[in-house]
Amino acid sequence: MTEVFLAFVTGLTAGGLSCLAVQGGLLASSLAGQIEREQAKARLALPILAFLLSKLAVHTLFGALLGWFGSLFQLSVWARAGLLLLIGVFMIGNGLRMLNVHPIFRFFTFEPPARLTRFIRRRSRDQRLLTPVLLGALTLLIPCGVTQTMFAAAVASGSPLQGAALMFAFVLGASPVFFVVSYFATRLGAHWERVFVRLVAIGLLVVGGLSVESGLNLAGSPISFARLSRALEQPWQPVGVTPSPAPSVGGLVPDGPALPTPTLPGGQGVIALRVLNTGYEPAVLEAPANQALTLHLVTDRIYSCTRAFVIPALNIETMLPVSGEVAIELPPQPSGRRLAYACSMGMYSGEIVFK
Amino acid sequence: MKRQVFIIHHMSCSGCALRLQGLEDSLPGVRQVDASYHRARMEVVYDEGQVTEEEIIEAVRSLGYEAERS
Repeated sequence: MTEVFLAFVTGLTAGGLSCLAVQGGLLASSLAGQIEREQAKARLALPILAFLLSKLAVHTLFGALLGWFGSLFQLSVWARAGLLLLIGVFMIGNGLRMLNVHPIFRFFTFEPPARLTRFIRRRSRDQRLLTPVLLGALTLLIPCGVTQTMFAAAVASGSPLQGAALMFAFVLGASPVFFVVSYFATRLGAHWERVFVRLVAIGLLVVGGLSVESGLNLAGSPISFARLSRALEQPWQPVGVTPSPAPSVGGLVPDGPALPTPTLPGGQGVIALRVLNTGYEPAVLEAPANQALTLHLVTDRIYSCTRAFVIPALNIETMLPVSGEVAIELPPQPSGRRLAYACSMGMYSGEIVFK
Repeated sequence: MKRQVFIIHHMSCSGCALRLQGLEDSLPGVRQVDASYHRARMEVVYDEGQVTEEEIIEAVRSLGYEAERS
């Protein structure tokens, strides 16, 4: 659900402006004839809506297709991490392209063949009623950089339903900008266009950075922002080894009130993590080295991606219950080893430090 | 018919190539335009009797870009 909302926000901000730059001309030329003939703005709403609804329907179907395609591969943790890294690099490349940092970044966007764009452009001159519907559908063939990134996200979702939902939310989010700009036939001034392009570019750099970070976390990389910040926080980070008797993790939060949480299991050879909707607690869990351990994961009304728990280095991947407890057996680890764990999206992460 | 390649400045996305391709319709004498955002260039096939190179450059300028002979 979070991803679908993010897709909507991406559409509303970066997607709307980016797609408008690539596809807006088509809609404008399609409407030009009607403006000349009818001289009435009220009549313009229908073709614009037809264009946008057609675009929405086709992209949603394509999202389902991409999700289905992704599901064929049963992406492993490593493949998902690689895909997240690729998406991130793609977004950062597009951001740098929009900031005109270097001509090489132009290759981060797909350029449709001239024959195809010529065909689509010629269709836009057709004044039949169905033309906006056809043009809306044809925008699938000339996606902007942000849309291409969404295509990759739909593949990564590995689910036709999720892929369709992502594309639906994204195109729906991008639609208001299309409608307003087309209906009022306004053009932003050159100055504001530059400002918006820069804002979109910065947005892409931030989201791309987050995607790279997620990919690094999911791969258990020793280099990531989360790991760096944990290393900096470590002097006052509480230790998560569960002594006997069993502790309540709620009491481990520094500078904060104890949370009303379930008591974690404890005992010899047992370590425990509390799974939250926004991460894992503690983020750094200390554990004894050179002995087999049982890791208990405790959930209590958890609905976020933290339920999909992975330890990439041990090829452990498990879906936790909404509320309950799951035990995972960990083989003995040498002293000094830092075993990274994360949610399946790489958004939330932590590590077990063996001493 | 003459074929001429122009370097195009200030293109910001592949939509710009699409816009430049529109010269096929808007500028009489222009037969074919193949514009590329990746390569920042535009190849034009045009009838010298109907349109001049300067007029093409001016038409490109009116779209918000700068063109120079390759």
